[in-house]
Amino acid sequence: MTVKVEVIEGGIPHTKIMVAGLVCTIVCLYLSYLNVATSTEMFSFFGGLAVISALIWGSHTIKVLCSYGIGTGVPSAGMIAFGSGVIAMLLATKFGIAAPIVALVLAAVIGFILGYLSNNVLNMKIPVMIQALTELAVVGALTLMGFAVLITGSFTFAGLTSGSVTVFGSLAMPSYQASFIGGALIAVAFLLGAIAIQHPFNACLGPGWKQDRMLMLTAECGFLSMIVAAIMSFALISAGSALISLIIALIGWLYTYCQYIGLSKRDAAAWLDTKPIPEMEGH
Amino acid sequence: MTAVAAKPAAGSAMNPTAMVVGVILLIILLAIAYVVSPGLGLMALIGVIIGGVLIGFGVHFVPVGGAPAAMGQAPGIATGVAMLAAGAGLAGLFGGAWAASQGLVIAVITGAVGGGMMMAITCMMVNFVYVFGMGIPAASGKVAKDPITGDTQPEYKSQGTEGHGLPFVSFVGGVVGGVLGGAGGTLIYIELLNLYKATLPTILSASATQVLPIAISTAGIFAIGMFLVNAVLTAYNITGTIEGPHDPKFKRWPRAIVASAVASALCGLVAILIVTI
Amino acid sequence: MEQIVFGIGITALAGALATVAGSAEDTESNIGSQGDPNSQVQLAPQMGFVHRIFNKAVAGEPPAYGLWCALGAGLAWAFLSMQVNAVLAIVLGSLLAVFVQGVYATTAYLGRTASLSKFGQPVYVDILKSMTTVAMAHAFVAVFSTVTICYLINVALGHPFPLPLLGFIWGITLGAAGSATGNPYYGKERQYQNQKFGAGVPISASGNIVRYAEAGERNSLDNGFFTAKFGGPAAGLCFGLIVFLELWRTVVFEQIGAGWGAIIVGILIILIFTIVDRYIEVWARKNYGPYLAPVKEAAP
Repeated sequence: MTVKVEVIEGGIPHTKIMVAGLVCTIVCLYLSYLNVATSTEMFSFFGGLAVISALIWGSHTIKVLCSYGIGTGVPSAGMIAFGSGVIAMLLATKFGIAAPIVALVLAAVIGFILGYLSNNVLNMKIPVMIQALTELAVVGALTLMGFAVLITGSFTFAGLTSGSVTVFGSLAMPSYQASFIGGALIAVAFLLGAIAIQHPFNACLGPGWKQDRMLMLTAECGFLSMIVAAIMSFALISAGSALISLIIALIGWLYTYCQYIGLSKRDAAAWLDTKPIPEMEGH
Repeated sequence: MTAVAAKPAAGSAMNPTAMVVGVILLIILLAIAYVVSPGLGLMALIGVIIGGVLIGFGVHFVPVGGAPAAMGQAPGIATGVAMLAAGAGLAGLFGGAWAASQGLVIAVITGAVGGGMMMAITCMMVNFVYVFGMGIPAASGKVAKDPITGDTQPEYKSQGTEGHGLPFVSFVGGVVGGVLGGAGGTLIYIELLNLYKATLPTILSASATQVLPIAISTAGIFAIGMFLVNAVLTAYNITGTIEGPHDPKFKRWPRAIVASAVASALCGLVAILIVTI
Repeated sequence: MEQIVFGIGITALAGALATVAGSAEDTESNIGSQGDPNSQVQLAPQMGFVHRIFNKAVAGEPPAYGLWCALGAGLAWAFLSMQVNAVLAIVLGSLLAVFVQGVYATTAYLGRTASLSKFGQPVYVDILKSMTTVAMAHAFVAVFSTVTICYLINVALGHPFPLPLLGFIWGITLGAAGSATGNPYYGKERQYQNQKFGAGVPISASGNIVRYAEAGERNSLDNGFFTAKFGGPAAGLCFGLIVFLELWRTVVFEQIGAGWGAIIVGILIILIFTIVDRYIEVWARKNYGPYLAPVKEAAP
């Protein structure tokens, strides 16, 4: 027996969130391409902002999907999103500047087929399954691409597989091992995203679910992931650019975290400090 | 979870049209691989499909009880099925990757043994906790007699519960699941690793030793991604909990084979396209 | 020969660290109340049983610990690339990973409790303040030990996978082993301490968790100290055995029989554990006896 889920009407419709999230993510990913235009790495933080927009979209998709009682937990949806997303994202990075669009299309195809398999071959027969899995795969791919940009400054295969290693404290030698893929930082990004996408719905689950509280929590999870990803990026991009990402992430996280606490205070039955269990009739 | 809309229950029925569509998709994907890269690419794809099917089938054996098992209300392990299977498969992949230099056969069997060992130890400790920590013997709720040992089950089930702990058939199921999952994950990894080791040096214009980290990490993350996709699809197939191979839900495995095959073929094809286009 | 002796030494150290990690992981997940037993903590207010237990709904233990350990390993890898000393890198990495874990724990508690406002479950700020830091401390021990194991496996034993990928793998395995072993003990033995010992919880009692305890109202720290006496060490033993035996059979037997030595030893280990499990099962049936008399065959 688990918590009963009841649908709450009202709030921003899912289609609006989907379109806004998709457009915002793609725009942020392309804004990060300014790195190439200006030959710096200063615009890597746009990758973090892309992550946050994609996560907001994705967490609402998970809310739509899991309201139908799929029988397994909420975390599995996050895992399948990123499992299919990482595969699409890695192939898309080979297409240079078209990488985000290719990731979008490829992930949509993979997600659609997985949705068809789940609904029809595995007989789950959930109305929104195919659309939800398609959206989740796209979110997974774009989030990983955002992390890649944040940590390395680019979303091309060459950028993700090359780095440099400092020898004797000053000589910088090119090395494949000190890179996003070679050092398997993509595995960390995978889990960061997978937990961040399912946490907001999982944590706000219950009869008192409110859309604005969940979306604020998504933004907070996104900024929190951006903080640690920015710290990891110190190893791969210049210290100044990483510092910009870190400062933006810290400010964003503090703001969204305080807002989230405020919203929880608004919605809670009571906000007590060191008080006993209240008397309820019959218990 | 109580469903919101009146959703028809995901029964054990098989959908013949969908199965046929699945098989057709599989053939199309194999054909694309044949056109793009006959030889190396096609062999890798076939290996990936077999690995994915092994994972999908293997996860059906793992006994998972979910939330009721954590209260001694249902038999099985009190963890989510996808992640428990992932834990066993990844422990196997760890061992298999270490033995990669000794050839495909040895590596896959090492991976299988690694996954089986992890599940054997975990299942034994689960029974250990139930028996010595909580004083509860193992009992199944789905059968009257354990298929392997012949032990009778109903009188060892406490009142008001569906059974608890891990009867011997569930233990064996867990080990078999770990073996198949570890083998499947390692097979996917080795196939992709060999493909990348052969093709990446030309693409990145570097020596084989230099690109080895990239090959290993890319193959590794692909193997993990495909493992999770297959495990979650199986979790959808059994709707979250299963007691083991003796559970009636186990009979749903044909659907999962088709679904895993198509999903693995699709993901494998993408993994191969990275180095062939 | 020296290589094998060195390998065995590292294996022993890794096994010991794994035991510590497993124990700390289980205690942390019981103090925070994570995973499948947490469904009862969430259900209780809906059945009218308002409580003061921490409600940490952060996925299950395998994915959550996969993230903390992968994050710790990834951050340690980044610090190592920046030429930071190895021990300091692992400590800093674990610290930052545990910071993330603490924040996730607080948001989970606030979110779930605020969504249960309809049933009158209040948000206890003092529970938030007291439990979070204790959970973070235990998580630090678990994450630090696991990242150190991964570092040893990568650097000293020469595994091909890079550090973050090893963190991912062992984090998920740690969560799976700890959750499988420790969850029933926390869920049945401590949460439902008021039910009869030696039997599962009947479905009719769902949600009726213990809320008034040995001294005053029960909170999660009480749960932590209880499960640390059996559940924690059992989980530690489980994960420690997994890590130790996996490394031991590879390091010692890999060169024998061109790889087949390690495989045969692995199969032997599986058989030994199967026999032990069967012995435990039979022992329980003989010594505890059935709950009811065996069902008699119907007369023909």
